[in-house]
Amino acid sequence: MVAIVRAEGVVKRWGSTEALKGASFEIGSGVTGLLGANGAGKTTLLGLILGMHRPDGGRLEVLGRDPWTLGPEVRARVGYAPEHDCLPDDVRAHDVVRHFAEVHGLPKAEAQTRASDALWEVGLGEERFRAVGTMSTGQRQRVKLALAIAYDPEVVLLDEPTNGLDPVQRDEMLALIRKVGHELGIDVILSSHLLEEVERVSDSVVIVSDGVIARSGSLDDLRGVADAELLVRVDGPGDAPAVLADAIAKKGTKVRVDGTTGLVVVTVADDAVYDVVRDTIADLGLGLRRLERRRATLEEVYLEADSAHV
Amino acid sequence: MSDARILERGYRRYDGPRLGHAHAVRSVIAHTLRRILGLRRPARTKVLPVMSIAFAYLPAIVFVGVIAVLGRFGAKTQARTFVPRYSEYYGFIVSALVLFVAFVAPEALCPDRRSRVLSLYLASPLTRMTYLLSKAAAVFIVLLAVTVGPPLLLLLGLMSQSAGPDGPVAVLQVLLQILAAGVFLATLFTALSMGVASLTDRRAVAAAATVFLVIGAGVVAGTLVFALHGSEGFVVIAIVRSALELVRHIFGDRGELRGVGTPALIVGNLAWTLATAAIAVVRYRRLQVTR
Repeated sequence: MVAIVRAEGVVKRWGSTEALKGASFEIGSGVTGLLGANGAGKTTLLGLILGMHRPDGGRLEVLGRDPWTLGPEVRARVGYAPEHDCLPDDVRAHDVVRHFAEVHGLPKAEAQTRASDALWEVGLGEERFRAVGTMSTGQRQRVKLALAIAYDPEVVLLDEPTNGLDPVQRDEMLALIRKVGHELGIDVILSSHLLEEVERVSDSVVIVSDGVIARSGSLDDLRGVADAELLVRVDGPGDAPAVLADAIAKKGTKVRVDGTTGLVVVTVADDAVYDVVRDTIADLGLGLRRLERRRATLEEVYLEADSAHV
Repeated sequence: MSDARILERGYRRYDGPRLGHAHAVRSVIAHTLRRILGLRRPARTKVLPVMSIAFAYLPAIVFVGVIAVLGRFGAKTQARTFVPRYSEYYGFIVSALVLFVAFVAPEALCPDRRSRVLSLYLASPLTRMTYLLSKAAAVFIVLLAVTVGPPLLLLLGLMSQSAGPDGPVAVLQVLLQILAAGVFLATLFTALSMGVASLTDRRAVAAAATVFLVIGAGVVAGTLVFALHGSEGFVVIAIVRSALELVRHIFGDRGELRGVGTPALIVGNLAWTLATAAIAVVRYRRLQVTR
């Protein structure tokens, strides 16, 4: 994996408060969710990635460079859309996007063209010459996204990009973020406290809990790390699930019966569990109707990771 | 058959040159100049900058006009006495400068903090100091147009009416004096503007604070010199008076304050310039943008 961001034991203090307590992780290409409760240290981490703050300890690399000592060089290649409203009301959307494309090093003519293209890309082609102050919250969030991608950064940092959006606008924004990460070829770091939206758009996740990196890795791997379970439904007499559960338990495998659904829920410690379940069902002469591995949701992963650090 | 075409507006990667830090600084200067002057913005935002600039230029236009009209009637010598000396002209300019610094210049800094655009600038190749320098440069350029332009116009106007300095050496000397006085005033009032505007994100508060500072400094200096019978040197505390006095010295005129020499005036004006610039620098170094 080519690391976009690599952190080793990064510490950041604000006065007596330790916002990051030795964060170590790697962020690769694609869309990465930076997940954590409000105040967990996500925005501090984004500030460090942008070279706005000096780490008090540890080592941080962004695109292979130290963002604190080579800040301007790093920031020229990183897009950023902050959580808060940050656009001047009395300036036209196109003007503000063009200006920041120039500030990030694009020649004037190129900035002019790309400002239009970026605004078209986020669905504001027809609205691009309107003053930002006359736009809705959803449109302003899109302008921020256009501003962050107009100068073709290698990676874009989006801090709570769905703040203040209604459900429809949120869906549209998440679709745009996926498009940026997967179709436009710009890696995305999406900071959010909303599990569901991180789960919907991210390929990888870094979970920040109270200044500590509780988990990090691809979404698939993280779900696998959490207690994966096998859901089994069998045909047979009414007590068949209980009989099956007893038989499996006797073979040393953790198992329970879900009283509501009648499903036998077997904990998957390793792949041998599949053989145990198959053989037990065959030994008992039961009919197998369903065998499905239930993967942990991101919420479960998050809660488990969070509780481990409280 | 229609000429209409569907254009593919797809996003393209950019592999052209990235122009670096200096380009970013130039871009911010140009953007701030447009913003200060109200260009590409609603008409109401153009009123104050146009007024400030008009206040500075109008007297020069009137004086040259008077010389031209009276010259036709053979009264050029009498008309010349009506026109102020170059150093006296700065009285008009300082009014425009104070108006500009109080009501227009805060536009360079205050809205960026109020609308939190500053966080976008600091997430760009700019640093806090290059951002501040770019903003100061934009204010300085506009102020330079106000401090150098009108006396230069007066000089050119008088020369066109054969009422200017005698000979190229005298012209060059006045030209250099105009440039020196203009750069000095623009630097002082840029620093003043940046210092005050760095303390608030509200333009109205910055305007009130600037007026209060200019008047307050004059009152303090007046109290020390006249009411408390202190040294006349305390006059250097009065921003406008001290600046005008130094301008008189630059033009080689006898100042109004006989007891205050050029070194004292330079120290006084330099102190105001450095102190207000330092306020802006310290404020922006410590400003919390995101955490």
